Amino acid sequence: MITAFIHKFSSPKSFVVLTAKLYPYFICIGLCLISLGWIWGLLFAPEDAVQGNSYRIIFLHVPSVIYAELIYFFMAVCALMHLVWRVKLAAYLIKSAAPIGAMITFIGLFSGSIWGIPTWGTWWQWDARITSTLILFIMYLGILTLHGSFSNLEKADRLMSILVVIGVINIPIIKKSVDWWSTLHQPASISVSSGSSIDPSMLYPLLISVIGLGFVLISLGILSSRSYIYTREKNKKWVSEYV
Amino acid sequence: MFDLAFNSLDEILQMNGHGIYVWSVYVVGITAILVSFIIAKKRLREAQEKIRVANASS
Repeated sequence: MITAFIHKFSSPKSFVVLTAKLYPYFICIGLCLISLGWIWGLLFAPEDAVQGNSYRIIFLHVPSVIYAELIYFFMAVCALMHLVWRVKLAAYLIKSAAPIGAMITFIGLFSGSIWGIPTWGTWWQWDARITSTLILFIMYLGILTLHGSFSNLEKADRLMSILVVIGVINIPIIKKSVDWWSTLHQPASISVSSGSSIDPSMLYPLLISVIGLGFVLISLGILSSRSYIYTREKNKKWVSEYV
Repeated sequence: MFDLAFNSLDEILQMNGHGIYVWSVYVVGITAILVSFIIAKKRLREAQEKIRVANASS
């Protein structure tokens, strides 16, 4: 029953048709929310008593690193679906999400490095959180390189999925690194279990930025995945009828 | 909560000496996202065009 359900709702055609309808709404919501979050955070949120105005990097840095991890987790779920149920769409989504994951991880690393200059006095430190995030960035590049090195695309999909599943071990390490090791990077300021240590005047624009960036990245994912699906399924009848 | 945290455009740009860090991060971040969108749109157009050409020739 699960297999039948997955196959029914995971056909590339259904995905393309549905996401083409959703794209304009997602990009509008994303741009509105991220503009609101960033304008609020950059211009209206008060200056931090300890870090001064450098803390305003948080409104880009935190959403970036959240999605750097979430995109990889999404890819791992897709990889399992591809390996267990042979869902083609899942492999297409991994291939489309990996460059977005690499881009957003780069932004997370870059913003963190720049933030480190005024707050830590250094742009780089080989501490657990930063190093594990760098490994995540390398994983994204490795996944893309691995897939690009095979001419047999089905084999490339399978090996890419295996690599993604192996690499998911890094996600809890990134998440827990600040608790397991004594690091320069501060512990999490927002937690599902213990709430937030951030003042609401800073927390609200941060949450809006997180949601806004999510919609923007989903929109980007829709564009990337549609073009990749067209490329892979170009000989299928539905593609020539739909385009 | 909705009072402007700065008194002038110069203060917004300077951010008490932190402006260079804050604005450089947002410029690089927004550029990276924009470039990704441009590439994705271009690839989608190219993929659609190839299929249309193939349809027309068949």
